[in-house]
Amino acid sequence: MLSGIDYFVVVAYLVGIMLLGLYFRKFVHSSQDFFLAGKALPFWAIGMSIVVSDIGAMDFVGVSGQAYRYGIAVGNFDWLGSVPAMLLAAFIFVPYFWKAGIYTIPEYLGRRYNDYVRTVASLTWIAFFAFDLGVMFWATAVLLNALLGWPIWLSIILTALVVGLYTFFGGLAAVVMTDVVQMVIMFVGGATVVFLGLYHVGGWSGLVEKVSAMGPEYDNHFHLILPADTDTPFPWTGILFGLTFVMANAYMIGNQKIVQRCLAAKNEWHAKASMVWGAFLKMFIPVLVMVPGLIAIAMHPDLDDGDQAMPMLIRTLLPPGLGGLLFAAFLAGLMSSIDSMLNSTATLWTKDIYEKFIRPGASDRHYLMVGRCATVALLVLGVITSPVSKYFEGIYVAVQTFLSMFQGPVFSILLLGIFWRRITQWGGLAGLVGGIAIAASLHIFKDRLFTIQDPFLYVSWWSFVAGFVIAVIVSMATRPHSAEQLRGLVYGLPQPDGA
Amino acid sequence: MLNFDWLQGVSPAAAKGVFLVLFVVIGLLVLMIPKAYIYQGLKHPRWYHNLKLWAWGVLLFIFVTYCAF
Repeated sequence: MLSGIDYFVVVAYLVGIMLLGLYFRKFVHSSQDFFLAGKALPFWAIGMSIVVSDIGAMDFVGVSGQAYRYGIAVGNFDWLGSVPAMLLAAFIFVPYFWKAGIYTIPEYLGRRYNDYVRTVASLTWIAFFAFDLGVMFWATAVLLNALLGWPIWLSIILTALVVGLYTFFGGLAAVVMTDVVQMVIMFVGGATVVFLGLYHVGGWSGLVEKVSAMGPEYDNHFHLILPADTDTPFPWTGILFGLTFVMANAYMIGNQKIVQRCLAAKNEWHAKASMVWGAFLKMFIPVLVMVPGLIAIAMHPDLDDGDQAMPMLIRTLLPPGLGGLLFAAFLAGLMSSIDSMLNSTATLWTKDIYEKFIRPGASDRHYLMVGRCATVALLVLGVITSPVSKYFEGIYVAVQTFLSMFQGPVFSILLLGIFWRRITQWGGLAGLVGGIAIAASLHIFKDRLFTIQDPFLYVSWWSFVAGFVIAVIVSMATRPHSAEQLRGLVYGLPQPDGA
Repeated sequence: MLNFDWLQGVSPAAAKGVFLVLFVVIGLLVLMIPKAYIYQGLKHPRWYHNLKLWAWGVLLFIFVTYCAF
């Protein structure tokens, strides 16, 4: 399905990204260089990296598929699901994390609460990322095979090789700076489909007219806010409580893959600015991933499966040459997510588990080596475990469901930890573990408890509430921390100047 | 209760109003942040380093989007 020029574009992209990533090898001399890019990153690169690490090739297909089925309400995940949370992160959480000099979010939880909380949080993230790597490799390789005829194992091996090399040698600096280029490629590739598609359907007004004329089942396709009793997965109550208040904040504040970049900022202003800049760039993501789904309604109204929307547009709209560009955009989406997960998981493992429990007090050079070895081990594990997805249908959704169970309780103790001095180490631990248990129970009994088909938004909200309440109750029954213990960790209790 | 049945009577238009008010509230909270805190880390801050302006720009963008759709 790819022509000669398409292959040229793809090969040029792969070689170029690998060389760019390898260039940053010369800046890595310590574990701080490897995990936090020597705390030298500018806001614009961090913001771009945050945005592109969040979006993968699956989002181009999955979100456009949701838009085909349900309309623009899926855009809530990048609009409401990002802006308030990123501003909260920018002005409250990130400055405290950056000033504390931490490497990982669990490290903050460990200082604020205790090492049990740190370890539970870290191991959960490590397990999630390690498992998700394999799922992402396989899901994207299958997608590229279906869209463009690219052999599955060739996708996986090539991606693993290129990403593995620059992440191993260049660390976070290589990850972030390649993400900058990958964001540009994704935006150009995605925008190409949008512009060509809108041209074909008569512009935005033509698109609205065509979709609106297709019948009453499309009446809500251009509404962001849907009724509480909607048949879609996006009732406004779930969007407000589950997404805006909990999942978005948990993701932008508690996800190591996202926040680690901010910790690598060159100063506090750049750390804050990176999140605000990232929020601005996030505004454009729904246009790139959602609008193609709407265009597909006008051009291909009889698709059996909404997830075919993007593939059909690619076949219909793109001439030779541009297919290669979009293929590069999809690869960029995959690689930007993989490299971030690799570096973040290696950081969590090295700092929270290895340095803490296995070999404390070793040299910095040793931890740099461990971080690099962890990167390789995770990559190999991801490649080897990728075919597991073939035997377990719905595993992609299962992994995301697992994350939704964890995020609410984590955010509850992050929120309490930074704003409430009275919360204790045992309150934090009880809130985290209890909240996860409640989330798991809600998910197991979802058919009895919820009327909506996929209640992950509601599970997030109620597990957050449960974690919050449990943490408060246990805290009131246990000994509080002293003010000195909390300096620099709680809002309103800064470190003394010079500390 | 778990399905927010008690909010089923709220119309999408009213719910949209809740979201728009949320954006305004966030904007007001951003306004209240001290300037010194915004510029922390910079040796020679300029007006374009004022992150409150950036945040207001983003909030305006999202406010207009949710008004329109």
